[in-house]
Amino acid sequence: MSKMIARRVLQIVPMLFVISIISFALAKLAPGDPVKMYVTPNMHPEDVERIRRSLGLNLPIYEQYIRWLIQVLHGNLGYSLQNSQPVLGQILQRLPATIGLMGSSLVLTLIFAVPLGLVAAKYADTWLDQVLNLLSYISISIPVFWFGIILIDFFSVQLNWLPSLGMRTIGVNSFPDLVQHAILPIATLTFQGCGAYYRYVRSNTISELKKSYVEFGYAKGLPDWKILWNHVLKNVLLPVITLLGMSLPMLISGAYITESVFSWPGLGLLSVDAIFSLDYPVIMAMTLFSGLMLILGNLFADITYQIVDPRIRK
Amino acid sequence: MKKSLVVLLALIFILTLSACGSNNTASNNSKNGGSLTVAVPGDPLVLNPNYASDRVTLTIQQALYSPLFYINGRNVTPALADKLTASKDQLKYTLILKKNLKWSDGTPLTADDIVFTLNSILDTKQNSDLRGNFVFNNEPVKVAAINKNTVVFTLPTVAPAFPLSLEQLYPIPQHVFKNEGDLQKSTKNNHPVGSGPFRFVTYKSGQYVETQRNNYYFGGKAHLDKVIFQITKDQNAANLALENGSIQLKAIQPADVKNVTSRGNTEVISYPEYRLNYAVFNENVPAFKNKTFRQALSYALNREDVIKSAYGSSKYGVPASSIFTSDVKFQDTNVQAYPYNLTKARQLLGKSKVDTKQPLSIIYLNNNPAQESIALYFQQQFKKIGLNLQLKPTDPTALNNITLDRNSKAYGILLNGYIMGPEADVYKVLYQSDSPYNYANYHNSKLDKLWNAAAVETNQTKRAAYYDQIQKQIADDAVIYPISYDDAILAINKKFGGIQAAKPQPVTIFRDLSKLYLK
Repeated sequence: MSKMIARRVLQIVPMLFVISIISFALAKLAPGDPVKMYVTPNMHPEDVERIRRSLGLNLPIYEQYIRWLIQVLHGNLGYSLQNSQPVLGQILQRLPATIGLMGSSLVLTLIFAVPLGLVAAKYADTWLDQVLNLLSYISISIPVFWFGIILIDFFSVQLNWLPSLGMRTIGVNSFPDLVQHAILPIATLTFQGCGAYYRYVRSNTISELKKSYVEFGYAKGLPDWKILWNHVLKNVLLPVITLLGMSLPMLISGAYITESVFSWPGLGLLSVDAIFSLDYPVIMAMTLFSGLMLILGNLFADITYQIVDPRIRK
Repeated sequence: MKKSLVVLLALIFILTLSACGSNNTASNNSKNGGSLTVAVPGDPLVLNPNYASDRVTLTIQQALYSPLFYINGRNVTPALADKLTASKDQLKYTLILKKNLKWSDGTPLTADDIVFTLNSILDTKQNSDLRGNFVFNNEPVKVAAINKNTVVFTLPTVAPAFPLSLEQLYPIPQHVFKNEGDLQKSTKNNHPVGSGPFRFVTYKSGQYVETQRNNYYFGGKAHLDKVIFQITKDQNAANLALENGSIQLKAIQPADVKNVTSRGNTEVISYPEYRLNYAVFNENVPAFKNKTFRQALSYALNREDVIKSAYGSSKYGVPASSIFTSDVKFQDTNVQAYPYNLTKARQLLGKSKVDTKQPLSIIYLNNNPAQESIALYFQQQFKKIGLNLQLKPTDPTALNNITLDRNSKAYGILLNGYIMGPEADVYKVLYQSDSPYNYANYHNSKLDKLWNAAAVETNQTKRAAYYDQIQKQIADDAVIYPISYDDAILAINKKFGGIQAAKPQPVTIFRDLSKLYLK
C-alpha cells in the first residue's frame, strides 16, 4: 500500500500542473474583460489601458500564465484584482470558517444518514421507511436558500433563539457564541447532505441484505444489529467512501448559497464573488486548492477502500 | 461685474455661510453611547478614498473619512474645507482648510495632506480611479501648499467643473502613506487612518467592519460609540435580521417596505437619490438608428405604468424627461417627454418603415426584479403595436462587457440607471460620440461640440443655454427613454434618532453618521 501511496503522491504535482493550465485557459477564455469590471466613467480610456498594462493583462495569455506560475512557485498566489489584497492571506483568513462549517456538517451528515439508511433498508417498505424516504426526497429537492430563510424566520425572528447572521457576535470571542451562530447553517447543510448519503446507504444495504453471507449470519443466529453493523456496513461503506472522497473539495470550496444566506465568511462566497468579478488570481488559487483536495480525497478513498475491504489489497 | 463672477461669489458665500451654520448641535433628546449595525451587501474593496468607487466601500468610507465639501443636490456645505475662492481668470483656486483639523490618530491634518492626496491621485503609477477628475485637456491640475491651512490649485485651462470634482477628494494622511510604493496594495489600507466621525477598529473579511467614535472629528464627537458595517450577501436574510433587530439600518427596495415594517420596530424613509432610471436605444442595431422608430417606441410606453410595474407604486419614482437629474442646476424638464399615445406610436411606426417582423431584444440585469418587470411591461406594450420584443436577462459581468463594447449589436434596448452628480459636464461621457460610455452609440457631432463648449463656458447664462439645447436635442432624438428619477429607501430601527441631522444622501446612505443617536 505504501508504494501505491508514494506513486499517487508523486502524481499530484503533474496533475496540479495540468489543472492549472486548463483552469487558467478557461478563466482567460471566459467572455469578459476584468479591467472593465473596475472602470468608472471618471476614468479616461488611457487610464484604463494603463491599469491593464500594470496588471499584465495586455500580455499574451501564455506569458500571463508563465508569470503567474513563476509567482506561485515562489509561494505568492498574487493579488486580488478586486481589492488588491494578497490572495493567500484572504484564503487563509476564511479557511477556518469553511472547514468548520463544511467539516461539521459532513460529519453530522454521516452520523445521521448512515444509521438511518441501514434502518430504512432493514425495515424496507414499512411506514418508517416511507417516512424516511419522504424526508430524503425533501432533503434532495428543497432549495437550500429557501430552507435557510425558513430556519432564520422561525428560529431567529419568531422565536428569537438563535442568531441569524455571521459567525460571531461582534466583540464576543467565546466558543458557545460560535456554536450558536453555527447551528442554523450547519443544520441547513446537514439536512441538504443527508438525502443523498441516506439513499446510497439504503439502496446498497437492500442489495447486501439479499446476499448469502447475510443469510448465513441469520442461520448462525446472529442478531439483526450485529449483521447490519459488523458485516453489511463494511460492504455498504464502499460507495459512501467514494462519495466522501468526492465531497472533500467542498471542505475548501465551501457552500456559496448557505454562506450567503447566513453571512458565513467562508471560501464559497470568496470564490463565487471572484468568478462574477473575473478576479482570476483568486479563481486560480481556489481552483488549485479544490483540485488538490479532489486528488487527496480520491487518494483517501483508495486507501480507505483497502482498509475496509481487504480483497482490494490483493 | 461679469455674471460668472457673481455666481462664483455666490458659491463662496454659500460655502462660508454654511460653515457658520455647520456647528455640531446635538438634538435635545439625544443620548451618547450605543452602537449601530448597518447592513452592507458585500466586502469593501480598498479602504482608501483614492480607489473607492463601489457603493459598499463608499458607504464605509463616509464613516472613516471626510471630504473637503459635502454636496447634496444643489447644496454645497464645507467639511474639512472652510473656503474655496477662484482667481479672476478662473485658473487658480485657493482652498483654506478649517483650523486645528486632526486625523483619527491625533496627527494634525494640514495642507500638505491635501497636496499629497491630489499628487497621489495624479501619479500614473498609483492607478487611482479619480485621476480623470483632475486632468483637463490631458494636462493635470497642479497643487501646492502655501501654508499649513492653504492650498492652491492651478488649472491648465478654465474648467467650471473643477470645484465639483474636488467634492470627490477625500484626503488621505501623508504621514501614513508617505513611503508606500503602491498605495492600492498598501497594507496601510487595512488599518485606515481617516478624518471621519468614526475611526477604524477592525475588518473581518466576509463578516464586518467595526468602527469606533473618532474623538478628533472636526464636526464634534459622534453620539454613538460604534458603527458596525455587517456584510450580508443575501438580501432576504438581511431583511429578516432587520426585523429581529440584529441589523438596524439598511437600504431596501420598494418591494421590501411592507415586510420590514411589519413588526413595527423599523421605520422607512425615502429621499431623492438623484438617479435616472432609463432605457437606452442601441443605434448600432439598424432599426434603432431610425429616429422615427425610436419615437414610436417612446409613445407606446406609459411612464406612470412603467414606474408602477417596477416599484409596485408611484411613490418611489418621479416621472423623468430630462437626461439630467434634479441636482443639476441646468435641468430642464420641459423637453419632449413622449406622453402615452398608442395611435401616434402606430402612425410613427408605419412612417418609420422598419420591418416589424424582425424581433427586437431588451437586455437587463438578471438579478434585478424591477428591471425584469419593466422589460415585461415593454414587451406587452410593444406587442400592442405589432412588435416582438425578446427578453435577455443577463448576469452583471456579461452585461458590463456587452454594454462597454461600442460595436455591440447584442441588445436593442438596455435598461440602465445612473447617478452622475450635480455637475452637468460629467454627463457628457454618456452621450458624446467617441465616449466609451455612450451606451446608445449615438453620434451627433453638433451636440459633441455643444458639450465641449458648455464645459469651458464661464458665463452661466450661456452655459445654461448650451445645456438647454443639449437636453432638448437628446429628447427630440429619443436617444433614451427616461423612466424615473428614483428615490433611495432606507429602513432604520425606531430606537435611533437624528436621522434628518445625519442627512440621508445618495449612495453612502448618510452624510454624517455622528448625528445619529439612540433615543
